Amino acid sequence: MPKCTINGKEIEVKDGSTVIEAMHDQGIHVAHYCWHPGLSVAGVCRLCMVDIEGMPRVQIACNTTVTEGMKINNTSQKVKDAVKWGLDFHLINHPLDCPICDQAGECGLQDQYMEFGKYDPEMAEKKVKKHKVMDLGPTVVLDSERCILCSRCVRFTKEVSQSNELGIFNRGDHSEISTFDGQKLDNNYSLNTVDICPVGALTSKDFRFRQRAWYLKEGNSICNGCSTGCNIKTYFNKEGFFRVKPVYNKEVNGHWMCDDGRDLYKFVNRDHRYLKASHRQESGWSQILPGAAAKEVSTHVKAGGEELALVLTGQYTTEEYEKIIGIFTKDLKTKNIFHWVNNKESFEAFDNLLIRGDKNPNTKGLLQVFEKNQISKTWADLETSLKAGAIKTVVVAGPENLKFYKDLDAKVQLFSQAKKVIWLQTAKHPALEKLPINSWIIPMKSFVEKEGSFVNYKGLSQKMNKVTTIVSEALTLAEAAELMAGHQISIKPDTHILTDADRPLDQVMSEHRKKNEFVFKRGTV
Amino acid sequence: MEIKLLSEHYSNPKFCELAGYEAFGGYKVLKTALTMQPQQIIDEVKASGLRGRGGAGFPTGVKWGFLPKNGEPRYLLCNADEGEPGTCKDRVMMEKAPHQLIEGMIISGFAVGSKKGYIYVRGEYFHVIAILEQAILEAYKAGFLGKNILGTGVDFDLDVYSGAGAYICGEETALISSLEGKKGQPKLKPPFPAVQGYLRKPTIVNNVETLAAVVPILRDGAAAYKKYGTEKSAGTKFFSLSGNIVKPGNYEVPLAYPLKDMIYKLGGGLRPGRKLKAVIPGGSSAPVLTAAEAEVATLDYECMAGMGTMLGSGAIIVIDDSQCMVDMLAVLTHFYSHESCGQCTPCREGTGWLNKIVHSILEGRGRLQDIDLLVKVADNMKGRTICALSDAAALPVLSFVTKFRDEFEFYVREGRSKVKGASHAQMHH
Ligand SMILES: Cc1cc2nc3c(=O)[nH]c(=O)nc-3n(C[C@H](O)[C@H](O)[C@H](O)COP(=O)(O)O)c2cc1C
Ligand code: SF4
Ligand code: SF4
Ligand code: SF4
Ligand code: FES
Repeated sequence: MPKCTINGKEIEVKDGSTVIEAMHDQGIHVAHYCWHPGLSVAGVCRLCMVDIEGMPRVQIACNTTVTEGMKINNTSQKVKDAVKWGLDFHLINHPLDCPICDQAGECGLQDQYMEFGKYDPEMAEKKVKKHKVMDLGPTVVLDSERCILCSRCVRFTKEVSQSNELGIFNRGDHSEISTFDGQKLDNNYSLNTVDICPVGALTSKDFRFRQRAWYLKEGNSICNGCSTGCNIKTYFNKEGFFRVKPVYNKEVNGHWMCDDGRDLYKFVNRDHRYLKASHRQESGWSQILPGAAAKEVSTHVKAGGEELALVLTGQYTTEEYEKIIGIFTKDLKTKNIFHWVNNKESFEAFDNLLIRGDKNPNTKGLLQVFEKNQISKTWADLETSLKAGAIKTVVVAGPENLKFYKDLDAKVQLFSQAKKVIWLQTAKHPALEKLPINSWIIPMKSFVEKEGSFVNYKGLSQKMNKVTTIVSEALTLAEAAELMAGHQISIKPDTHILTDADRPLDQVMSEHRKKNEFVFKRGTV
Repeated sequence: MEIKLLSEHYSNPKFCELAGYEAFGGYKVLKTALTMQPQQIIDEVKASGLRGRGGAGFPTGVKWGFLPKNGEPRYLLCNADEGEPGTCKDRVMMEKAPHQLIEGMIISGFAVGSKKGYIYVRGEYFHVIAILEQAILEAYKAGFLGKNILGTGVDFDLDVYSGAGAYICGEETALISSLEGKKGQPKLKPPFPAVQGYLRKPTIVNNVETLAAVVPILRDGAAAYKKYGTEKSAGTKFFSLSGNIVKPGNYEVPLAYPLKDMIYKLGGGLRPGRKLKAVIPGGSSAPVLTAAEAEVATLDYECMAGMGTMLGSGAIIVIDDSQCMVDMLAVLTHFYSHESCGQCTPCREGTGWLNKIVHSILEGRGRLQDIDLLVKVADNMKGRTICALSDAAALPVLSFVTKFRDEFEFYVREGRSKVKGASHAQMHH
């Protein structure tokens, strides 16, 4: 554990730490573009300059290992000049199209400029012209002129996704990022390149031109795409959720997340949600408020006993499972509680990076609560009882993450053998319209609208906070359980509500968006 | 006076064949060297004061000493990329005496404990590659290469690898990348090649001339070699003389030889009626000397350093009064911006910027502040990058602009060269 002095303060650092790591750990800001804690050191941006006592020249912090007694400083004029010029070299050929650049507001160049720059450009020559729109693959677009050639994206595809699609082609100031001949940037982790790109060179087709960064609020959560449980940051505003990015967690996902997880924000938005409960009668579907619907079904559920069954997917929080299973076993006196496993065959699959075959965030949590309550019925038991007509009412806690529930139609058919189906569900799905007469669909809160915990594949329980409310009338599984059991509960009104009245927001933005409608569709360049 | 330690027999066409080389004592040194302890050879090379002839002038014996002292496999690479503008000595050495280099490499390989060497040859030198391959074949047949050399139990294999025309591949770590089959661009240091080089194994990279010089050093002894030159610049060195000179060519002289004599005695002086304006003493990357400086300079590492320039690869480019310095600088800035590998931002962007500014001046669009801007940009490219190409691009700019500022100012003000009738030397246009 060598000791060193950074900006006059003596600290002890981990063996083998580089100067940039040591400074990072101390919360001392070091300008940098190419260094990324999840990637190898490239040492190419030459921005992370520090002064080291006894060395005539400034050194890069990212490739200098701290040695005992080293005296490091990054506040001297020498360092400031080096960084200022380092930034200048990055900017001379930069197109500066911030007004139309998606990165604006969260751009490394803008940030450094505000800190070290604020000067007039001295570059009076013609800028180098490069490819402005390069379709790299299904998810990412490259603007080569904005690229500062930090090589993070190349290192990512080499070292992390190990898909090796990207390289730097050509030389000197004509160098450009591109994909190798005949290849596309097409892997399950491609959008991480957009996150780590310090500028607006790599943009996500899904997100580009949809929102300005400063119109978005942030909230942390846990991805519910699979049993890994990547830590995420969600970005939203009155119009809904717009994107998801990974949050570093050494124990779970490191710096990354998969592309599928990035899409999950979509089903939480109002357009995809059940806003009202529906009840199917002889005369067809009629709509009621969710709370009223839960109270209404309580007449059928309350009787409980062996004619009542509960089917749970691994998509809810442990706290919700505890509540609903507690109510069903104790108050409603049934042990007919079943675990709906969506993709049995690939449940144990793992891609050796993050993606797991169990496409539920909380299978482990569900099984833990099952064990605690000695629930031991098998799926086959459910099928036989349904066939035999022994089960008359089925309550289904349906999946949020519809993409991976290919068996939804089949399950609708299966449960329809019961006389009454009460389906608790967040996102809309056409299969549910086929539910039989005497069925209810009751809207549920999505994972970003509630707090609770998910237990991931290795048994790590991760707590998440509520990010915001999108469908204020929707219920949590716990609330639904109470109401269905006929309990009197008061549901606290949401203070932060997205309602139709809130949208469309300011006229300027919606007009601006209309103008850009042609680029607004996912998957188009 | 020329001292031909290496080039004594270069005029003999037979010297490039094994028989001819052996007739003049070739491979005798190898035979004795293989009876020595490797450390003895390293010590001898250290004692000789031999410094790398590739450009940086790093003491060769000291560099060899950086290798780890264990049995780890290691490589000896010969840098024959010879890309520094003005330099053409390695080519001649390999054409005239390929066996000298091979002998030097076997001895050096034995000394540093390497069983495998490569000669990385500049891509344009395809005829040299043919000569080397022929010579290597002869050496294998004669038992100088391969397993159990001359029954001593020593192994050394040697191969030739062709570059593809990139100047940057002469930089030792770029050379290693290229040899590994990767894009030819320098690697971040540390780790240094002596610790982790070719295929991540300890590696020594030496210039052709450095490795060949090991032969006369061991033949005559370090003391004899050190008789030539000065304490810090020992032995003889090749200089490639070019530019506005009557007898351009390669000359082997003892270090500390007066530059004046190089130009006027060996080089036959300038063309009639011409006056000396400037001299680039060590390849295009070396800061230019004014005529007055050239008059008193001696060709050794310390005098050059004292004058703020360097001996570099030993390419002396003579510039007479018919040349326009703005025009000449444009050739250089174009070269470096074309050759920058583009990894490091200051070099990638800076080389292009310098080139554009100089061309703007040449094309009559220059502003007076551009002259200071050239200095500022060049200043901030120095010492901040992965390899020395950025410095190599900056140094000529700094020296040209500061020493010949009047020519730059004249060009900006008048939109034409101060030198009457100066031809545009812009080869690239
Ligand atoms: C841009 C650049 C180009 C270089 N080109 C050559 C070259 O063509 N030949 C060479 O021997 N050394 C060249 N060098 C120097 C090598 O990096 C290295 O120092 C040298 O090969 C070491 O050999 P030596 O110690 O025998 O001089 C170059 C260096 C730089 C920075
Ligand atoms: S990358 Fe940054 S500096 Fe460049 S245009 Fe986009 S926001 Fe502006
Ligand atoms: S595209 Fe972005 S991440 Fe990739 S090299 Fe350019 S600036 Fe860096
Ligand atoms: S200094 Fe220039 S040539 Fe050398 S590695 Fe950096 S960009 Fe490449
Ligand atoms: S962060 Fe150190 S050189 Fe880029």
